[in-house]
Amino acid sequence: MLIAIGRRLNLLIITLFILCLGSYVLAFLFPGDTLTNLSGTPPLSADQSHQLQLMYALSEGWFSGFWTYLKLTLSGDWGVSLNSQTPVFDDILYLLPASLELSLYAMVISLLVGLPLGVLAGLKHRTYTDLGILSVSLAGFSFPVFWLSLLLILIFALQLGYLPMSGRISLLYDIPYHTGFILIDILQSDVAVKDAALKDALRHLVLPTLSLSIVTTALVIRLIRRSVVTVYSSDFIKAAYTKGLSHSQVFWRHGMKNALLPIMPQLAMQFTVLLTNAMIVEVIFSWPGIGEWLIQAIYQRDYPAIRGGMLAVSAIVVTFTISVDLIVRILYPLNKRQFYAQA
Amino acid sequence: MPMLDIKNLTLEIDTPMGWVSALDKVSLSIEPSEIRALVGESGSGKSLIVKSIVGAIPERWRVTADRMNWKGNDLLGMSASQRRAITRNDISVILQNASASLDPSATLREQIEESIPAHRLSKGWFWQRKQQRLDIAIQELHRVGIRDHNQCLSSYVHQLPEDICQKFSIAMALISRPKLLIADNPTVGMETTTKVQILKLLTRLNKTAGLSVLFVSHDLLAIAAMANTMTVLYCGQTVESGKMSQIKRRPLHPYTQALLDSAPSFRRDLPPKSPLSCLDGTIPTLQHLPIGCRLGPRCPRAQRECVKMPITRRIHGHEYACHFPLHRGKA
Repeated sequence: MLIAIGRRLNLLIITLFILCLGSYVLAFLFPGDTLTNLSGTPPLSADQSHQLQLMYALSEGWFSGFWTYLKLTLSGDWGVSLNSQTPVFDDILYLLPASLELSLYAMVISLLVGLPLGVLAGLKHRTYTDLGILSVSLAGFSFPVFWLSLLLILIFALQLGYLPMSGRISLLYDIPYHTGFILIDILQSDVAVKDAALKDALRHLVLPTLSLSIVTTALVIRLIRRSVVTVYSSDFIKAAYTKGLSHSQVFWRHGMKNALLPIMPQLAMQFTVLLTNAMIVEVIFSWPGIGEWLIQAIYQRDYPAIRGGMLAVSAIVVTFTISVDLIVRILYPLNKRQFYAQA
Repeated sequence: MPMLDIKNLTLEIDTPMGWVSALDKVSLSIEPSEIRALVGESGSGKSLIVKSIVGAIPERWRVTADRMNWKGNDLLGMSASQRRAITRNDISVILQNASASLDPSATLREQIEESIPAHRLSKGWFWQRKQQRLDIAIQELHRVGIRDHNQCLSSYVHQLPEDICQKFSIAMALISRPKLLIADNPTVGMETTTKVQILKLLTRLNKTAGLSVLFVSHDLLAIAAMANTMTVLYCGQTVESGKMSQIKRRPLHPYTQALLDSAPSFRRDLPPKSPLSCLDGTIPTLQHLPIGCRLGPRCPRAQRECVKMPITRRIHGHEYACHFPLHRGKA
């Protein structure tokens, strides 16, 4: 068990290290002055330039240069944005919760919808119920996210006018920033019109969450269905029936556990797909999250921001994936071989 | 009256070629406290019979039978919960592949305690029952020869060797004190001493507790040693059934003859270094079943009449299905 944990932690640290290295190399590969790309402040005088040179230890060879960069990165000094001259790290911390919030709700919804439907399709394997669910999920899986969100805006926001089409909350409400999660912030704040603000925020959430979760729901359904079908055709389910257990006893005691645990890492992997899709959706819905910010940075060739955003998003994805994998390994008694990542 | 009485059980499987009957009019009956052997080569449908008796087959397969009674009650006609009660309290099954038929994500303790029926627990509070369950489980494990019960109970399936899993399955099957034990190849792959212990245990339970056993196996020696009656199955058809001694002395069906001949220890007249006999060919696959008697293409005595399924004839409790039986005069 310790070996398994050690291996995963090793993987995590090495991957993060390589990401840092990649982001450092990016500063040299981007067009323009390397120092400007690293720090985000165009040097105004020779004196300032010299100071930055010292700060990033560029003249002392690439190794100590990277070492200095690593220390700065770990201490949260990621340079400032070329456009707004605000620290990149603070920007990311400020914007990340919005993206996480969106992805989290979309994930919860996909699981809430996908899990029962997937299990149902798996149990009713090769019936019309199964085929129906499968075709719906295939359709949902095939929609491109950007097209789907535009379509949703067109129908629900423009044609029918039920829902707002952009932003997190109407400008009328002034919610102080605490955690960055809008719903929590509203609940914590002491604005007079709390209920109305909450309702408004929820209305703003509907369309982005929906367009994000449709694709993920389809993926979740397919994953779970396959797993349930495999487990239900295995010998130990038959053996459980021969013990005289009822359908629900077999389902809860043997079926579910064995169907869900092995695909947990794959389900968690959907979160990273979600985060990627969230960036597209954020741009379309002008959702003030890290995706929209990063794409703006790319448009404006804001190199320190691109570098920081890339590092932050990939670090989150890697950390999340590895920790879910680790948790599942701890919960689920697998073959010893699989602890050593041989199978 | 037989305990379990099956007459013309047919199991049909939906394949791309249409419905194929994997079991074709199989008849089988088990008297109280008898050991009946079910013999046949791999692929003859032995395990399918076992699974259809306890209803552990996919719903999309078709099971039909003229009669499938448990102590006079029709198993196919009764409600699911009644049938479950019977499989829970009266019938126990040891499936083939012991390690694959145990849940990989639960410890063995959870699994064996799950199979203890309520009637083995005396009334008490739930914490007392928990202790009782553990005691019963340990006692049952000792009975099948698992000495290190603590290690066994706290392990997961993949942590134990196959023969411990097999013994564990036997313990789990016996824990409900069944009237009928259906053992599907329970001793396959065990070393001889362990095998003999298990066979002795089953025989003892049969003698003392009146346990009926349906013993499914290829192992003719083990069967000859413990079984009272025997049913021979070929490719989903019952070819012969009767008392062990009768069949051993004078098999009527050519297939039974071939089966017995293939076990050298049954043949006293076999001179040293003579070639071992066996039937040519292999058992047909489900996609290419011959019509009539399915042994036809491999049968040394086959004639034109064999394309029609012979009716089952019965002489002194010895049943056979063959147009040209051995030892029955010249046909």
